[in-house]
Amino acid sequence: MMRSHTILCVDDEALGLQIRKALLEMAGYQVLTALDGKSALALFEENPVDAVLLDYLMPGMNGGQVALAMRRAKPEVPILMHSACVDLPKETAEVVDSTLSKGEGPEMLIHRLQGIIEASQLSMGSRQ
Amino acid sequence: MNLREFQRVLKQAFFVPLLALVALAGVLLWQVRDAQQAQRWLDHSDRVSTRVAELERLIIDQETALRGFELTGDQTMLAPFKAASGPIDAHFDSIRRHVSDNPEQISNLVRVHDRYLLWLGFANNVLSTPNAAANAPLNHRGKELMDAVRDAMRTMSDTEDKIRSSRLENTLILERRELMVIIAGALLVGIALSIFSLTRLRQVSSAYQRSLDELQKRSNELYESREWLHTTLRSIGDAVMVCDANSNVQFMNPVSEELTGWPLDEAVNKPLRQVFHIIHEHTRKEAENPVEKVRRLNKVIGLANHTALISRNGTEYVIDDSAAPINDKSGNLIGIVLVFRDITDQKRAEAALIASEKLAVAGRLAASIAHEIHNPLDSVANLHYLLANESNAEKRAEYLSMAQQELKRTLQISRTLLNLYREPNAPVKVDLKELLESVLLLLHRRLDTQSVTVQHNFDGSFVVEGFPAELRQVFTNLITNAADATGINGKILIRMHGVPAEELHGSGVIVEILDSGPGIPHHAEQKLFQPFFTTKGEKGTGLGLWVSMGIVQKHGGTIRLKNSEDPDLHGAWVRVYLPAHTLATSSSRSTAHVG
Repeated sequence: MMRSHTILCVDDEALGLQIRKALLEMAGYQVLTALDGKSALALFEENPVDAVLLDYLMPGMNGGQVALAMRRAKPEVPILMHSACVDLPKETAEVVDSTLSKGEGPEMLIHRLQGIIEASQLSMGSRQ
Repeated sequence: MNLREFQRVLKQAFFVPLLALVALAGVLLWQVRDAQQAQRWLDHSDRVSTRVAELERLIIDQETALRGFELTGDQTMLAPFKAASGPIDAHFDSIRRHVSDNPEQISNLVRVHDRYLLWLGFANNVLSTPNAAANAPLNHRGKELMDAVRDAMRTMSDTEDKIRSSRLENTLILERRELMVIIAGALLVGIALSIFSLTRLRQVSSAYQRSLDELQKRSNELYESREWLHTTLRSIGDAVMVCDANSNVQFMNPVSEELTGWPLDEAVNKPLRQVFHIIHEHTRKEAENPVEKVRRLNKVIGLANHTALISRNGTEYVIDDSAAPINDKSGNLIGIVLVFRDITDQKRAEAALIASEKLAVAGRLAASIAHEIHNPLDSVANLHYLLANESNAEKRAEYLSMAQQELKRTLQISRTLLNLYREPNAPVKVDLKELLESVLLLLHRRLDTQSVTVQHNFDGSFVVEGFPAELRQVFTNLITNAADATGINGKILIRMHGVPAEELHGSGVIVEILDSGPGIPHHAEQKLFQPFFTTKGEKGTGLGLWVSMGIVQKHGGTIRLKNSEDPDLHGAWVRVYLPAHTLATSSSRSTAHVG
């Protein structure tokens, strides 16, 4: 049986984060949540994570900074930048694997998440 | 020549001829007296000659009587002899008195007298001698003596004649001299007076000419300066109108002719109210006659805001103007100068700027608002998906409640956004605490992104009258400014406190915003409230503070900006005073008074 993937979900909106967690769990993922970049990085270091779902606009560190730090620590973990922000900086978009605008709907979110996980596993498999 | 000099000349013209004539009269008097004196001496000689002739006749009478007696021996013949002896003595005395001043005549008289006494001695001898008549030698002796008397008398008479003729000659000389003196004196005085009068008249006339020249020069200067002022006033870019103290138009420059629609020649002496018809732009009520206002206050006044001029053809201009009194030397009002400008375009431009700043505020907030709305909508979409796939009733209820919360948040944000634009027609009670919280709600994301922490202390109730949307714009602007100034990890403190009524303002609320930024640069202090001045480079429009000041001033409040002395928040310190009661109306937008 295929083990369920672990997703680190980061957003400063507590309620939105809680709902997203429920959604992802319903989709069969294990979900870790963090309300800010600093705690997200700590969780990322400590736990095996298959993918990161990252909000951009957050107090303290923004999504771009968090993504950069994660890339340095574990470059193999795919990151999906999921933001309501309309004008993401180009360098941030280049760092992450994919970007998704909030409001595209849950199906799209799950689909894209699935996509980046599969892509990363494919590339890991080919490397091995 | 001044009046004093002129009076001096007048005095001279009176006294100098008078004195000259008096002197001339004096000289003439002296001459006449000399002539009279000479005449008296002439008369004197005549009297001496007459007396001498009479004496001679008396002596001859005596001799004749003596001869008669000698011839006849008749005693009666002697009557004239005796009768003459008394007058003869008297004549001698008289002549002696007359000639007492002349030694020659005195000695002549003494000789006559001596010879007469000799003859008289002889005569008395004859009278005492009987028959003397026949005595021829005696008669001969008598004749000799009498001849000597006559000879002496003739000498005296001749001498007197000589004296008289010399005196006559002297008299004639004097008369000639008198004539000469009269002619010469009259000529001299006449010429002198003429010259004197001529010089004085010349002095006066040249002074008069100088006065005339001066007057002409002054009049030219006056004309020039009048023309100069006239041209200046005519070519000035603002409209200028002058009216007299009775509010009648006296002068208009072309700009004011154009704005009022009245040509000067038609407007002259017309009442100002007719030519310069001004009303309140919004209430449409007749504005106060500036002449009356100037008369009342007697100082330069500016017209009220929103004054509109209705021109003769009905065109309406929003004008900005001032009126100043013209006073005479004693301070009486003799006229009024009105200077006004058509600011219709300026007002339109200002309105456009204000509108564009409002849009800029909205634009600046748009990203943050989109994010705010997107987040709950995303949650709602997720919940919808969950609900569709969840059969557990408990879970479903939980999801529905969550959806409720997220929708509520969305609505709150959209309402806040709407309130940013929706404005009541009249001022309403505004709870500043609520208002600031809603502003912070909209700015929340933006501030978070910049990692700016906002501390606030709104304990108590702070209610003022005003226009909430405009006030929201003000605080959005001020808080955004503070956040831009502090940068990443900055701090902002917002606090409020009520202020009691004081002499210069009514009771109200002061909202203070302090930040931890670098503060206001020294060079920017004076310009902060000017339109298009920005310290944010490309990012700023330079309209925020200008519009904010306009709004706050319209509410009857003020914004003060300086650098804070708080060590934790050492940046800018903004103090917004808003009165509890405002006189503002929805239309009474005013632009900031800078300076």
